[in-house]
Amino acid sequence: MRNPLGKRLPRELTKEFGKYIAIFLFLIGMISLGSGFLVCSHSMAAAYDESFEKYHIEDGNLEFSEEPDADTLADIEKTGKLTLYPNFYKEEDTEGFESTLRIFQKRKDIDLECLMEGEFPAGKGEIAVDRMYADNNDLHVGDSLTAGKDTFRITGLVALSDYSALFSSQSDMMFDAVQFGVAIVTPETFDAVRDTHLHYSYSWIYDNPPANSKAAKTRSEDLLDDLADYLTEKAESKAEELITEAVMRGEDPASVKLPEFLTIKNYIPAYANQAIHFTGDDISGDNAMMTVFLYIMIAVIAFVFAITTSNTITKEAQVIGTLRASGYTRGELVRHYLTVPLIVTLIAAVVGNILGYTVLKDAFADLYYRSYSLPTYETLWDPEAFIKTTIIPAILMTLINWVVLSSKLRISPLNFMRGDLTPSRKKKAFPLNTKIPILHRFRMRIFFQNIPSYLVVVFGIFFGCFILLFGCAFTPMFNQYQQSIVENMIAEYQYVLKSPEDTDDAEAEKYLMTSLQTTFEKRKAEDVSIFGMEKDSRHKPLDFASDDAVYISDGFSKKFKLHVGDTFTLAEKYDDGSYTFTIAGIRDYPAGNAVFMTLAHYRDVFDTDADAYTGYFSHHELDLDEENVAMTIVKDDLTKTSRQLIVSMGGMANIVKGFAVIMFVLLIYLLSKIIIERNAQAISMTKILGYTKGEIGGLYILTTTLVVVLSFLICIPLCNMAMGSFIHVALASYPGWFEYHITPDILVKMFLLGMASYAVVAAALIWRIGRIPMADALKNRE
Amino acid sequence: MFLEIHNIRKSYGEGESKVEVLRGIDLEIEKGEICVLLGPSGSGKSTLLNIIGGIDSADDGYIAINGEKTADMSDRALTRYRRRHLGYIFQMYNLIPNLNIKENVEVGAYLSEHPLQTDDILKTLGLYEHRHKLPNQLSGGQQQRTAIGRAIVKNPDILLCDEPTGALDYNTSKEILRLIEEVNAKYGSTVIMVTHNSALADMADRVIKLRDGQIRKNYRNETKKSAAELDW
Repeated sequence: MRNPLGKRLPRELTKEFGKYIAIFLFLIGMISLGSGFLVCSHSMAAAYDESFEKYHIEDGNLEFSEEPDADTLADIEKTGKLTLYPNFYKEEDTEGFESTLRIFQKRKDIDLECLMEGEFPAGKGEIAVDRMYADNNDLHVGDSLTAGKDTFRITGLVALSDYSALFSSQSDMMFDAVQFGVAIVTPETFDAVRDTHLHYSYSWIYDNPPANSKAAKTRSEDLLDDLADYLTEKAESKAEELITEAVMRGEDPASVKLPEFLTIKNYIPAYANQAIHFTGDDISGDNAMMTVFLYIMIAVIAFVFAITTSNTITKEAQVIGTLRASGYTRGELVRHYLTVPLIVTLIAAVVGNILGYTVLKDAFADLYYRSYSLPTYETLWDPEAFIKTTIIPAILMTLINWVVLSSKLRISPLNFMRGDLTPSRKKKAFPLNTKIPILHRFRMRIFFQNIPSYLVVVFGIFFGCFILLFGCAFTPMFNQYQQSIVENMIAEYQYVLKSPEDTDDAEAEKYLMTSLQTTFEKRKAEDVSIFGMEKDSRHKPLDFASDDAVYISDGFSKKFKLHVGDTFTLAEKYDDGSYTFTIAGIRDYPAGNAVFMTLAHYRDVFDTDADAYTGYFSHHELDLDEENVAMTIVKDDLTKTSRQLIVSMGGMANIVKGFAVIMFVLLIYLLSKIIIERNAQAISMTKILGYTKGEIGGLYILTTTLVVVLSFLICIPLCNMAMGSFIHVALASYPGWFEYHITPDILVKMFLLGMASYAVVAAALIWRIGRIPMADALKNRE
Repeated sequence: MFLEIHNIRKSYGEGESKVEVLRGIDLEIEKGEICVLLGPSGSGKSTLLNIIGGIDSADDGYIAINGEKTADMSDRALTRYRRRHLGYIFQMYNLIPNLNIKENVEVGAYLSEHPLQTDDILKTLGLYEHRHKLPNQLSGGQQQRTAIGRAIVKNPDILLCDEPTGALDYNTSKEILRLIEEVNAKYGSTVIMVTHNSALADMADRVIKLRDGQIRKNYRNETKKSAAELDW
C-alpha cells in the first residue's frame, strides 16, 4: 500500500504556498543564472578552444625593426624549426572618435578571421573591423571610417582569432576595446594606406608544436636565444664586412658609419600572448567563480529550507507524535519532510535549466561578446553544468535537510505529542541579569532562541553585501582609480621617440626610458618601466636624495611588497642582461610598475651616451616630426584598464545590485517570517495579555532589526576588506597594480540600500504579526 | 452591575454548515464573584469566555464592564481593556517557552501600572526556587501555577480561566483551584472559570450551565465550598 503521508504533500505545499514560491523563485533565479552562465561559458570555451585549429592561430609572433630579407627568414625558420608568416600591420588614429586602429591585410594562412556580420573586404577602400570595437564605437556595416589619412567603407564586422581580447600591448594591464581596434583590408588597400609606421610583424607556427605550455615556454625561450645569437652574429659579420671593405678602400675603420642592423622589436610566444589567452583564462576563471557562488547560494537556501522544515515540525509536533506512536518510523517521517524541499529543488532545477539554456545563456553570451571578440559559438549540452546546477544542489539540499531533520526527529513520540521539542529537559535558561528591563530580556531570549536563523541571516547579509559592494562600488572604484592615475601622471604628453629630435619648446623635458622584466620567484614576469628623469624635474618632482637614488612607483611597491631598503633585480626582455637596484624611496605613480632615477644615473646604469634621451614630457602637445615619434602617451592610454573594465562589466553592476537587494529581502523575510511563525503562539498570547502592536513589534521585529542593522554595520566593512583582498588576488596575474579604494559614501549608500531592503521586510513582518489571531494561543493547544 | 453580558450571539460557518454556538446569552456578574461556566463540549462556554476576554467578537449583543461596552471599542481600546482589566489562565498554560518562570510572570507585571511584587507571587505560588527554569523543565501543575502568577501579577479586575485544571491530575487540580480561590479572596478579582467538571461548581458564587449555546441554568450557589473540600 502506498504511504498515505504522500497525500499530505500537496496540502503542505499549498498551505505554505507563499514561502515555497519565494524559495522556489529564488532557486530558479540561482539555478537559471548558474545554468545559463555555465552552459554559455562551456559553449564559448569550446568555440574558443576549437578556434586554435579552426582559425589556425599562431604559436607566436615577432616584430623586426625592418623587413628581413628572404635568406634571414629562411635561416630563422630553419633554426627555429618553424614557418614564418608575414602579418604586417599599420596603426592609424581614427577621426571623429578617439581610438587607434591596427590594420592588417586579410590573412590567408594564419590567424584567420571569423566573419560576424556583413562581408569580408574585397575591393579598394573596403575594411572589416573588429565586431566589439565597432559596437563600442557605434560603427556599423556600410558606415565610413576615417583612420589616418584614409577613409574606408566598412563591409563587415569580424573577430580576429589572435585578438579575442583587444590588447594593444602585452604590458597593458587590461585590453581596451573602446580605443583600440583591429581591422583587415585587402592587400591593395593595405599598400595604399598612407601610414609611415609599418610594423614588420611575423607570426610563426612550429613544425612540431610543443606538447604543453611549459614546453612552449622552454621552446620559445630557446628560440629567442637562438634568434638573438643569430642576429648578433649576422650584425657582427656585416659590420666586419663593412669595416674590411672600408679598410680595403683605404679608409679609417673608425670613420665607417654602421647601418641600423636588424633587431627584434617585439617577441610574443602565443602562450604569453594576452590577446590570445586572456579570454580563455577569464572564461575558466569566471566558471570557477560562478560555481562557488552557486554552491554558496544553494547552501544558504538549503539552510533556509532546513529551518523552514524544522519550523514545520514544531508546528506539527502533535501530528508527528501521533504518527510515531502509531508506528511510523523516524526514517519514514524524515523522508516525508524531505520530499517537499526536494520536489521544490528539482522542479526549480528543471525550470532553471530551461531558462538557463534559453534566455540566460544568450544574456551571458551577450556579456562575453561585450568583453571579448569571440567567434560565433554553438550551444553545447554541458553535463558538468547539469551536475553543478541540478545534481549537486539536490544533494546539498537533501544532505543539509536530512541532518537537520534527523536530529529534530530524534525526540520521543511522547514529547512530540506534548509539544516539547527541546532535546533535553535539563536545558537551562541562559542566565540574564534581572535588573535588565523585562522587554530587553524578552528580546534577548528571542535572539538566543533564533541564533541558527540569525546566523543564516548574518551569512546571507555578508554574502549579499559582498555582491552589493561589487555592484555599488564597481564603477566609482574604477573612476577613482582613473582619477588617481590622471592626477599622478608624469605629464599630459609623454613622447617616445624613435630617433632623437631636439626642440626649442621650453616645456619639453627630456627623459630616458627602457623596459625591463621582473625576476621575482614564483611570480609571473611583468614589465617595469625604467625612467631616467631630470634631477629637478618640473613634471614629476621626485626629490632625489642623491644622484644615484632609485625610487619605485607605489603600485610596483604594493604589488610586489617592496619596501625602502629592499634590493630587487630586473632583467632585459630579449637579452641576458640584468640590473639590481636598491630602493631609496617610493613615489606616487599608481599607473604601473615603474623605477625612477636621475638621467645621469640612468646613463651610467644602462651605459648610454652622455646626451642620450628617448623622449619628452610636456604639458602641451609638441611640434615634433611624426617620423621620429614612436608613441605619444596621453591620459587615455593610462586609463584604458579602468575604462575597459567599466565598459565590459559596468552593465553587470545594476544586475548585481538588483540581485543583492532581492537576496536581502527574500532571505531576511523568509527567516524573520520563520521566527514569527515559531513564536506565533507567544505573539498571540502577548496580544491576549494586552500587549500593543507596537510593543509586540518591538519584541519580535526590533530583535531582528537589531541583528540586521548590526550585521550590515559589521559586514559592510568586512566585505570592504574582503573585496580588497579579492580584487588583489583576482588581478594578481594582470600586469601592473590596481589600487583598491572606495570612498565612504559608497559604504553609506550600501547601508542605506540594505536598510531600505529591510524596511520592505519589516513592513511585511508587521503586517504578518498583525494577522496572527489571538485564538492561536487557544485552539492549537487543545 | 460590574459585568453585563447582553444577548450575545455567535455563529461559525455559512449556509448549511453554519453552526450557532451562542444563541442569545444574557448574564450579569457581580464584582468579586467566582463564576463557573459549566457545560459539555460544544456548549459554547469557551466561545463566551473568549468574547468576554475580547479575543473573539460577538455577532450580536454586547459585553459591558463597568458600563463600558467592548463592542464599541476599537482594536486599540480592546487591547487597553485586556491590559487593564483581564488576566487569563488556559488549560495548556500558554507560557512563553523561551522565557524563564520569573520572566513569564514579569511579562504580565509589565502591563500593569501597579503590579504585585513578582517575587512575592512566586513565593506564594511555590515557584520561587524554580524561577530561573524554563517552562518545559516544570511539571504541568507548576506551569499552571506560573500561568496563574502571570495572570494575577497585574492585579486584574477579572480572571478568566479556561479549563484551568483540564490537563492536571486530581491533587494538582485542587491545588490550582485553591490558588484561584486565594487570589479571589486576597485581591478581590472576579473569577470566571470555564469547566466541564461539575464538581467545580461547588466553589462558585454563581453557576451558569450552558448547553447548545444557551443558558440552561443561572443560579447563585448558596452552599459554596472551599476548593479543599471539593471532590470528584
